[in-house]
Amino acid sequence: MNCPIEDRHPEILVAYAAGELEREIARALERHLADCAACRPVVAGQTAVWKALDTWEAPPVSPDFDRRLYRRIEEGARLSWWERFTRPFRPMPLRQALPLTASAGLLLMAALLVYHPGPIAPVAAQREAVRANQVENALDDLDLLRQLGTADSTEGGHPDAL
Amino acid sequence: MGVAAAATLDYDAELMLRVKEGDGASFGVLLEKHRTSVIHFIYRLVAEQAVAEELAQEVFLRVYRSRSSYEATAKFRTWLFRIATHMALNWLRDQKHERGQEHLDEGTADLPARQISDRRPSVEQKLVREAELREVRQAVAALPAKQRAAVLMHKYEEMEYTQIAKVLGCSDSAVKSLLFRAYETLRARLAHMEAT
Amino acid sequence: MPFDFTRRMPLGFGLAILLGVAAAAPSRCQQQPDRPTAQAQPAANAIDRWNRMSPEDRERELAKLPPARARLIRERIWRYNHMQPAEQQALRQRYQTFSQLSPDEQQTVRERLRELRQLPAARRPIVHREVQQLRLLPDAQRQARINGDEFRSRFSPQEQQIIRDLTTYIPN
Repeated sequence: MNCPIEDRHPEILVAYAAGELEREIARALERHLADCAACRPVVAGQTAVWKALDTWEAPPVSPDFDRRLYRRIEEGARLSWWERFTRPFRPMPLRQALPLTASAGLLLMAALLVYHPGPIAPVAAQREAVRANQVENALDDLDLLRQLGTADSTEGGHPDAL
Repeated sequence: MGVAAAATLDYDAELMLRVKEGDGASFGVLLEKHRTSVIHFIYRLVAEQAVAEELAQEVFLRVYRSRSSYEATAKFRTWLFRIATHMALNWLRDQKHERGQEHLDEGTADLPARQISDRRPSVEQKLVREAELREVRQAVAALPAKQRAAVLMHKYEEMEYTQIAKVLGCSDSAVKSLLFRAYETLRARLAHMEAT
Repeated sequence: MPFDFTRRMPLGFGLAILLGVAAAAPSRCQQQPDRPTAQAQPAANAIDRWNRMSPEDRERELAKLPPARARLIRERIWRYNHMQPAEQQALRQRYQTFSQLSPDEQQTVRERLRELRQLPAARRPIVHREVQQLRLLPDAQRQARINGDEFRSRFSPQEQQIIRDLTTYIPN
């Protein structure tokens, strides 16, 4: 005899085997399982499947994964910049390239007049590096200052301390 | 009201929008948060750690390179796993079936006699565990690729049907069907492990 | 001789643009007024500047540290970046006020906050509440309350010092 749960809603049995059902629903299902010969083996089998899948641990990630990724990002950025820069001028004869380059230079000067009335800051100042220990000190201070926020934050330190 | 609605916006999607605006730090946060789960997911799909890391690198590269066109139309994790799933399924499709089977068949030969005759319980237990783990891996690997992906997302990433459906580009009922068939197959292959 | 558009147009165009812009651009003696910002934002702190660094630069910095310490820093930054926006904004404002103190004053605030954290569990919320309430008051009222007998009777000398210093240096 087919069971409507096993037949039409087997996901309930799968969720029960995974312990994902709400307590009330789980209890109701347990009462059903006591009497249902169709659902019981499904639940037993699914519990075995979950336990078996639990044993499958993935290997740890290589410690240099991030470094390799960022290197590839950096390489990609350099190439695309260079390609963008050189592509427009490659097939162009010199007698056409020169006036265009000169007019581009004039336009650049015009842009500088409008948008950079003052001296341009040196590149080093624009890319201000922060040392890791500076960040750490800032985090320590922020963690302390966070106490001055909500009243809950004083109970043995903030629950989500920085 | 508007503030409350904004607060429920997927925070990872917010971070990705910041990456779109040029905030590289937010990309680092997303990488830190999702790197391991993406690699593990792909590993269980393709069953090779080196390949999994390589494919995961491609996934995050694609995330970074497509930042200028990113739109938060779905949860970030859904989008991320969609890329990862397609990357892994494409790799599986491009590989020869025999290559995959050969890899999984490694070590399935009978246990060497000298090890079987070893009376130390800890070694025996270890070997039994290894054999069981191989069975689990083989059972999952034997599933059709989409069923496999659905099971891995459901079991290890604890995704709900709707999210899995968005990753796989199908309906909720199609995901239910995929999982039903996958678990039925797995129960048939692994239910004997219930007694252990 | 026919007019060579390919050579002369771009140059002429560029010159025209340059002359037009030069005429329209304000002279250096005539500074443009600063545009008022719609919302006063706290100045960038070290973490904001860290967040603006490229991923490669950040990784280079973290690679100099032991892995466990680097990981902890990443997690703490992650938590900071994931704070509720309003809470983060308030904290950044507080940090900006703190950053503008002298080194000695900053050290005093740190010590008081550590002492606050180490107060007995029963006293901590009481002292904290007093700090919060005093920070809401105008200066004159705050001083009157701190100098009052009731304040002295409710709080120990250490607690009084904590409250006094925190409300003085981080008034709001």
